[in-house]
Amino acid sequence: MSRQRTQPVEPPAWRFWWLSLLLFALGTLLIGRLVLIQAIDKDHGAGFLKKQGAMRAVRLAEIPAYRGLITDRRGDPLAVSTPVVSLWANPQHLRDSDLLALANALGFARDALEAKLERYADKQFMYLARSQTPDQARRVLDLGIVGVRSQREYRRFYPAGEVTSQVVGLTNTDERGVSGLEKHLDAELFGRPGKKRYLKDLHGDAIRDIGVVTEARHGTEIALSIDLRLQTLQHRELQRAMIATGAKAGAAVTIDAWTGEILAMTNHPVFNPNSRADFNAEAARNRVMTDVIEPGSTVKPLLLVAALEGGAFTIDTLIDTSPGRMRVNGKMLSDPRNYGEISVSRVIEKSSQVGVTKISQAVGHEPLLEVYRRFGFGVKSAVGFPGERAGLVPNRERWADIEKATLAFGYGLTTTPLQLAQAYAVFANQGLRVPLTLLKRSANEHLHSERVIAAEIAEQVLTVLERVTGEHGTATRARVAGFSVGGKTGTVHKVGAQGYIDDQYLALFVGIAPMNEPRYVTAIMVDQPLGNDYGGGAAAAPIYARITEGVLRLRNATPRMEVSREMRLASLGAEQ
Amino acid sequence: MFRVQREPAIATALLMLCLVSAIAVVYSSHSCRRFYGALQDLEIERWRAQAHYSRLLLEQSTLASPHRVLGIAKDELGMRAPSIDAIRVVVE
Repeated sequence: MSRQRTQPVEPPAWRFWWLSLLLFALGTLLIGRLVLIQAIDKDHGAGFLKKQGAMRAVRLAEIPAYRGLITDRRGDPLAVSTPVVSLWANPQHLRDSDLLALANALGFARDALEAKLERYADKQFMYLARSQTPDQARRVLDLGIVGVRSQREYRRFYPAGEVTSQVVGLTNTDERGVSGLEKHLDAELFGRPGKKRYLKDLHGDAIRDIGVVTEARHGTEIALSIDLRLQTLQHRELQRAMIATGAKAGAAVTIDAWTGEILAMTNHPVFNPNSRADFNAEAARNRVMTDVIEPGSTVKPLLLVAALEGGAFTIDTLIDTSPGRMRVNGKMLSDPRNYGEISVSRVIEKSSQVGVTKISQAVGHEPLLEVYRRFGFGVKSAVGFPGERAGLVPNRERWADIEKATLAFGYGLTTTPLQLAQAYAVFANQGLRVPLTLLKRSANEHLHSERVIAAEIAEQVLTVLERVTGEHGTATRARVAGFSVGGKTGTVHKVGAQGYIDDQYLALFVGIAPMNEPRYVTAIMVDQPLGNDYGGGAAAAPIYARITEGVLRLRNATPRMEVSREMRLASLGAEQ
Repeated sequence: MFRVQREPAIATALLMLCLVSAIAVVYSSHSCRRFYGALQDLEIERWRAQAHYSRLLLEQSTLASPHRVLGIAKDELGMRAPSIDAIRVVVE
């Protein structure tokens, strides 16, 4: 037995071979599976597994980018994006025991929060509070309540409020521009959010960031040509006048004729851009550019251009306007009284219908239409504002005599208030037209100006425009103390369903100042002023005067005073 | 003879290179993570600074709004725009 025990039992040879084969087969199976997963990578291979893993743990998060700042020409902010925090919760993870603390921190009633939770009971996402300041949000987040998270966002604020509301425009909740310059300049202003990858745990909280996928690109800062001081002044004067005249609407625009920059542009009615509840489309319209009007007498200086260019007239040529009325195609055109024989200059000063008709009959309608087009009527300005209108300069085969006459009075064609200002800027800029802009131009920027009329003709038109605000003119109320100004009034019957309405007017004034160094052009439109002061000279010219007084003071124009030289000599004499 | 001596030398050199590059990978991924962490901190700091800046900007423009300046100048300080008679132009 003992011998048998010590005698090793020789296992059968087949056992060894079977075992070896089995182990080898298992090894091959494992390696084969590995090869299948790693190298061949078919349906449930490495790619699939990686994806499944990432789906469970890796998340993409947005890196917020801010929208560019809009400032005025001096750097005062007009639209600012400020960081805010929106708080949200996953209703599945909120615990009942935390609700009271959460409701208190948010300033909700507990019942209200519970009611909200009820509604979102089967959801994974629920906003608790949107657009909170970072400090407010921190108070809630510091409680460390499970299931409450934050999301960084930006919100747009408009510090100047209603003063710049129509020009600057608005953005939507996604911070994309929907109106005004916010829309026009959206591509530059928009901040493109970036993306980053992070690992999350079971509760969805970020454990660590893996890396940036795309960089966030912040919006660029844009300086406008608007001067907020002038804008505020213009806004104040326009609102004041709107209340005084009881007008339905109004618009004003001031441009720097030398650089083509729009310095101020305001409208009535207004809205508060910081409150979305206040929004109404009527008040959001930038009437300076989106409303087309018949310009009325304000285009008479352009008839003067056509007359002077024709060579048959000078500003001193005499026109016989007696007996103060004339009949064209059966329609009676009349002046307030019989002016008798007056010069071309006086015809414009007095805005004489008879005189204008006689000049326009001599000039013909075609040269006049050509002048209108040259001055930019019927074509959008270079600003490119959303909703800007081009107006209409008629182009017809056959013209009745009355149509030719009214064309010279500014009826039968339409323009925007901005186009009127643009046309007058040609006179102020020695016959050159500079493309208008709402963006600040640098001092050495090359201006693509084009010559519209000869400098001598611009000079003569200015002489006549200055007389309009003089003793005999229709716009004595446009005068500004210490400066000489020039301009032209316009009073237009509004068009209703049945043609021109007898007792509804549009009062217009377009002016240039200061005349010794013409530079600032301001156009005023008052829609339906009430009472007896409905005309351009009574309703619009005083607004012009008050705005221009401020413009000249703020732009440091030197007052031109006849007395100043004597005073200076006197003071010099006293010193010696 | 020559062959026998050279091959292990090349192998050793390659092995060393492999090790060095492996350590370099470890080092660079470590510093990548460290820098990314620093970047995150800076991002947060920038976010805070931006929040602060835009709040100050709004505050400044509220305090310096032309309406407010005009109101204070007129009502509190009794200022007014000089009339044209009160202006003397000094020509150099």
